[in-house]
Amino acid sequence: MRKYIEFARVQMQVHAAYSAWFWANTFSILLRMLVIYFFWKAVYSSRTEIEGLPFDGMITYIIIAMFLQMFVSGVGQELAHTIKDGNVAIELMRPYNLITRLVAMDLGDKIIHFVRGALPLSILAFIFMDITLPTTWQAGLLFLISAFMGIWIGTFFDLLIAILAFWTINLWGLQVMKEAVISFFSGALVPLILFPEWFQTISLFLPFQAMVYVPVAIYTGILSGTEAWLALGSQVFWAVSLFVLLRVLWTIAIKKVTIFGG
Amino acid sequence: MIVVKNLEKHYKIAKRDPGLRGAIKSLFHRKFETKKAVKKINMHINAGEMVGYIGANGAGKSTTIKMLTGILTPTSGEVKVNGIIPYENRQQNASHIGAVFGQRTQLFWDIPVRESYELLKHIYEIPQAQYEETLKEFVEVLHLEPLLGIPVRQLSLGQKMRCELAAAFLHRPKVVYLDEPTIGLDVAVKVRIRAFIKQMNARYGTTVLLTTHDMQDIEEICQRIIIIDDGSVIYDGSIQDIKSQFGDKRVIHFELEDAADSFVLPETLCDITEVLPKSDEEPHLVSLSFSNKHISGAEVIHTMMNHYSVADLTIADAKIETIVEEIYGRGMKKEVQHEEIH
Repeated sequence: MRKYIEFARVQMQVHAAYSAWFWANTFSILLRMLVIYFFWKAVYSSRTEIEGLPFDGMITYIIIAMFLQMFVSGVGQELAHTIKDGNVAIELMRPYNLITRLVAMDLGDKIIHFVRGALPLSILAFIFMDITLPTTWQAGLLFLISAFMGIWIGTFFDLLIAILAFWTINLWGLQVMKEAVISFFSGALVPLILFPEWFQTISLFLPFQAMVYVPVAIYTGILSGTEAWLALGSQVFWAVSLFVLLRVLWTIAIKKVTIFGG
Repeated sequence: MIVVKNLEKHYKIAKRDPGLRGAIKSLFHRKFETKKAVKKINMHINAGEMVGYIGANGAGKSTTIKMLTGILTPTSGEVKVNGIIPYENRQQNASHIGAVFGQRTQLFWDIPVRESYELLKHIYEIPQAQYEETLKEFVEVLHLEPLLGIPVRQLSLGQKMRCELAAAFLHRPKVVYLDEPTIGLDVAVKVRIRAFIKQMNARYGTTVLLTTHDMQDIEEICQRIIIIDDGSVIYDGSIQDIKSQFGDKRVIHFELEDAADSFVLPETLCDITEVLPKSDEEPHLVSLSFSNKHISGAEVIHTMMNHYSVADLTIADAKIETIVEEIYGRGMKKEVQHEEIH
């Protein structure tokens, strides 16, 4: 266990060292927040609500979804690289589980991102944009749990795609597609309730809405009561099944490497 | 320490007809060809031995090492390292072995060398006191002090290799696999690395299996060599033995004025010398191998000078290098004949 904690720690250290990157990133997030704010301000200039959402509800949803989306991808890129350049063989010679190691590093990444990026920026957003707090304290608590689940689901899904690098030579296309699908179906761009009924029905059965839409909808009160609990249940379902699928696929991939030589 | 019995590894290679047609055809119907990378090899290496494992490119060295480290499952046969079957208990095996692959880095790219070692300490669960003691020793022998604060990606090849070596031995592994640890390094670094390996073996009784194309490495480090060719072990014994066995072998390389394609062995040399396979890069080169029991080097040179105009010549003496070259050469010739039969 200690070694994985160390991996997380080192990763935090590595990131803390890249300060130019940090400021560029912070700046681009600020810019995005401004664009989003003025865009939705313009949209709401002629109406008071869309699909039952007033302006402050909408902007709260969009900004929180934006922050959450930053955390739903993971270390897939890194894993895919390791597989492609053949270094996975060296990783297999080490006394640790590579997937657990990568998840630990990812956790380190996310913690530092949260502390240095998302947290101060969201405080800024609270002060200067009309972002509201959760309607009840239960909703707030439920949001935290749900966001946590959503992040896990995103991380597992990302690694799952990356493992496919064992079978396909070029993973880039697949990863770009994954990004697009996630932004769309996860509700990271706009709340899913703005989409047509049939679209909402489809995405109900996909794991993507569990990444962003569910936690943010709980936060903003779009989902509440029984609906919220049901949504949380589906998150648990997705987290567990993706985790199991990840382990199974990884075992198969390792078999392939160790038996066929990659 | 390392026991290998009748170890075999076969690869399945998808065979494909050339061109687009072949590519489409292979989508529906794939033909597989089995390539035997390692054929029934046996070896028994005791604790504390330093063994040179040599063979031409593609002879099956890396495949064997991969099976010993557990990252490849054998097709058949037995393999045990330190009493553990590596491919069944990969992680357990991993904590007792160390490895350096000359072509790949296993330090952590973005962080300084010292942090890398610190991380390895946790990965291999090295006790703090032992870690400090070992690191101090390594820093002294390999002159690492000025490198410790530098991120790995900024190190030169020689610096990196010294750091890699320290990393491989840091947890005092029982067995260390070194795959071309001196590739691309200058003489001074090579000397230091060899000294380090010998010192580790003397102090901790580390078993070392060394793969290299640098025969100087072998002669200085190893007491024993195993030669593998085309997947089979063709020699296993001490360096001394092979030298006395093949010690009378000589190879002379003649650089002719004309292209060597039209070269025909002079009649008087026919039965007692052998022409080694030609390489495409050096069209003027002819290499003759012979035993000095049958004919002296002077005589061979004399005969050649009489028949051909020789621009230059080099005599390779009975160093291990010559012997190995001779053995590889034979292996390659076998392969050529093989193809002709097909």
